Amino acid sequence: MILRRKLAVPPSRPPQVRWLSRSWIGNSFVSVALGLLLFALGCSAEREFPNQPISLICPWSAGGGTDRVARQVAAQLESELGVPVNVINAIGGSGVTGHTRGAVARADGYTLTMITVELSMLHWRGLTSVTHEDFAPLQLLNRDPAALFVRKDSVFQSLDDLQAAIDSAAASGKKLKASGTAYGGIWHIATAGWLDRRGLAPDAVNWVSINGAGPSIQELLAGGIDFLCCSLPEADAVLDAQVRCLGVMSDERISGFEDVPTFQEQAHDWSIAGWRGIAAPRETPPERLQVLGDALARVTATESFRDFMAAAGFDISLEAPAEFAQTLQRQDRLFGDILTSEALRGVSGEHFGPLMFPTIVAIGLVVVLVVVSIELWREQAVMIGETSPAGAVEAAAGDGAEPAGSAGAQNRFGYPVAVAVAVIFYIVASEPLGFVTTAMVMLAGLLCAFRVRLPVALSVAVLTALVTYQVFGLLLRVPLPRGFLEW
Amino acid sequence: MSETVLPAAQQIFLDPMIWGVVIVAAFYGVFLGAMPGLTATMGVALFVPMTFWLEPLPALAAIVTMVACAIFAGDIPTTLMRIPGTPASAAYADDAYLLAQRGEAPTALGIMLWFSVTGGLFGALVLMLLGNQLARCASWFSVAEYFWLYLMGISCAVIVGGSSVARSLLGLLIGLLFSTVGLSAVHGQARFVFGQPELFQGISFIPAMIGLFGLSEVLRGSLGLDRSLTAPTAAVQARSLLGPALSLFPTRILAWMRSSTLGALIGILPGAGADIASWVSAAVSKRRSRTPEQYGKGSTECLADASAANSASLAGAWIPALVFGIPGDSVTAIVIGVLYMKNLKPGPEIFETQGVLVFSLYLIFILANLVLLPVGMLAIRTGGLIMRIPRRVLLPVIVLLCIVGAYAVGGSLFDVWLMFGFGLLGLACERWKISIGALVLGMILGGPLEERFVQTLAGGDGSLWAFVDRPVAAGLALVCLLVWLSVAVSAHRSSRLLAAGDSEV
Repeated sequence: MILRRKLAVPPSRPPQVRWLSRSWIGNSFVSVALGLLLFALGCSAEREFPNQPISLICPWSAGGGTDRVARQVAAQLESELGVPVNVINAIGGSGVTGHTRGAVARADGYTLTMITVELSMLHWRGLTSVTHEDFAPLQLLNRDPAALFVRKDSVFQSLDDLQAAIDSAAASGKKLKASGTAYGGIWHIATAGWLDRRGLAPDAVNWVSINGAGPSIQELLAGGIDFLCCSLPEADAVLDAQVRCLGVMSDERISGFEDVPTFQEQAHDWSIAGWRGIAAPRETPPERLQVLGDALARVTATESFRDFMAAAGFDISLEAPAEFAQTLQRQDRLFGDILTSEALRGVSGEHFGPLMFPTIVAIGLVVVLVVVSIELWREQAVMIGETSPAGAVEAAAGDGAEPAGSAGAQNRFGYPVAVAVAVIFYIVASEPLGFVTTAMVMLAGLLCAFRVRLPVALSVAVLTALVTYQVFGLLLRVPLPRGFLEW
Repeated sequence: MSETVLPAAQQIFLDPMIWGVVIVAAFYGVFLGAMPGLTATMGVALFVPMTFWLEPLPALAAIVTMVACAIFAGDIPTTLMRIPGTPASAAYADDAYLLAQRGEAPTALGIMLWFSVTGGLFGALVLMLLGNQLARCASWFSVAEYFWLYLMGISCAVIVGGSSVARSLLGLLIGLLFSTVGLSAVHGQARFVFGQPELFQGISFIPAMIGLFGLSEVLRGSLGLDRSLTAPTAAVQARSLLGPALSLFPTRILAWMRSSTLGALIGILPGAGADIASWVSAAVSKRRSRTPEQYGKGSTECLADASAANSASLAGAWIPALVFGIPGDSVTAIVIGVLYMKNLKPGPEIFETQGVLVFSLYLIFILANLVLLPVGMLAIRTGGLIMRIPRRVLLPVIVLLCIVGAYAVGGSLFDVWLMFGFGLLGLACERWKISIGALVLGMILGGPLEERFVQTLAGGDGSLWAFVDRPVAAGLALVCLLVWLSVAVSAHRSSRLLAAGDSEV
């Protein structure tokens, strides 16, 4: 009734509203028919694993080497498995965020992780308790040896040049700067390990903690750092044109980069490589691991995957689950030895603590808060006798404001409370009930609380819930909560 | 030049395949941008698998069109429901929404559409003529320069923000503090997570933004539900959608050129994209305006300049991606992957080896913006139907959209809690007139700002000289200082004016 009364006010009633206030029977017929239609569309998926979108967690930022491989695998896995495979860049904390999120994810096979060499390093540095034992390995994809780069116009022509410069700079107290990844990341350890092998202190170089090879290359080009350590393919786009590679930390030259000399050739006995692979959480059911492992084996065997890896310069190196598990164990021991050695223990700290920036902000906040309080107090003083401050909040109060009825005055705060209750209801109920049911109940309840007539409320609730499900759940592939009805 | 121009033009304009792809992508992009919580990046990521079946050029055309359209379409829910469809719309959310509340939604949207299209075209032109040379500017920027750039970015929030400098600053600092939640990017240590594993990634700002703008507006609107008899009647079917925009355009040619150039330049810098472009442009626009008091209260100048800048920035982001293989924003990060997938290696030589392709790409930008004009008009008219739904029915539906939008980002109900919490915070901010826009910007830029701050310090071995010992960094520091000085001076002047006004009462 109320809705009708409200709607009668504008001079010409818009067509949309006329449709809404049709008879109860007509309304429900339309919504039931549409509901059935949409239900039929929504339920076409079969129930065999996998039947939901799969997430592939990438612990590194979009556009980097790991991300590119992840996106390629995801795209091919998607056509192999017939369900969407979405890459999620869970970045930060030198890879802690992504690996942790992948390890603690629900072990149902719908969350995979692109694990990288950092998995073998992070727990040795005490940054996380997650190790390779928290994962069920599925497929090793590639290995990339570390390499050192300088700008094209740099005076350093060889590793010996660079080593001498590092040595003399450190002695003079103005250390050379380098980067390639965050502090304590694989390329940092590769650099520090090399320095250690050459008899220099691992911190003879000032390592600037920059997340990812892409931004580090930018930094090298801008002259912010003196040299860069990352893999060859990561620097491929600028190699020879803007940067020069002094050497790759491997025993043999890398295919696709045959011009680049190895460390061994320059009599620097040091080799180290990063690797990437796909894994699922440890407790994932074996039959699902089988499905995923087989699919990955097929993907990595395809011509297009090999072509992609070759084109991007990634050194392909495939290992099936059993073999990969052994590699993981060997890697873990290797990095354990390096990271716990006396010389390298020093690099595990960072000079500028994590609470420095928040502290600066907090101090500023307190100062500004005092200023604002004074301002508010002054305004209050001015306002006395002018207008009532409570009315200032509502911009919505229009020109034709009707004197609020007795019910309206009581319910003024009832509406926002109803909104809050509705949101909390959704959060609590959507996992057990599923999206569509929850959304319908929530909307119907909220519409009734807003005093919309029941038939209108019900049809709007049913239609909106179904359309939202179609748009977000099916078209845009948002993994909406499924509930016990799987809907 | 002509040996690349002609084949490129033929490739683009004579190929029905390209036209088809561009038109489909335009609709998809508009739809995507208009859905709260779904960003242009997410749309492009969803599209990547489809690039398998496409030739490189149609694949790139689809991505370019999709993003251009999504960035504009983000303005539609911003204007009609005050939910920024993409973060790029947050800078002028209040201006657009207030105009709509006054029944001027078609004017506002028409202006945003026109300036998005022309800004995008200008950006494409700038790149076509100067792209290769401008790419070099990006290589001047080390962490110290980025630190100053981001600092200037957050200063813009204070300039654009509402009535009082102190309250914009307060919003900004609250936002910065929120940005420090989670594992710090530089140290890899958890801060303020209170044992919640979801917080390790930090507070994702899209749910926060939806709560601050969208849900808080629903809560506020529902407070006045019984009082406002008439829903704001917006005649979106007004005779001429672009009329006001076209009459505004001639008076703002210089501002338009300035905003678009600024947008294109910001776009070129990796790590700064459409969102920062629209903030900076809005701030510059307010400083140069004759009516700065209108900003934040429904200024069409602000809408025009900021929309031009964020659209112009899109093309810029492609330059570092093509030249250095370094993504200019999250979309071009995906583009680099697509290029590799198509066996096109980014690098400085791409201008020689793939000259036709690069030139075709510029033409695609022009085509995409031309297609945006009719598609955008259609979208505005469709979106305008929302204004005819009675508020009692509309508000609950917006609540559902806020929930789903917040959930869509990370597929986690925790984000819905976040959205709800920020909705309440937004309501409190409105009550005490604390700038919500500044809060959102603080959250967006807090992470990168802190990262560059610590990196610069670490690079300089703890010495503060590291911030100014490079010429470009010193220059940017000086600009920053001047900006703050001018803000301080004008704040002082306006507080004296206020005091004078008070004494008259």
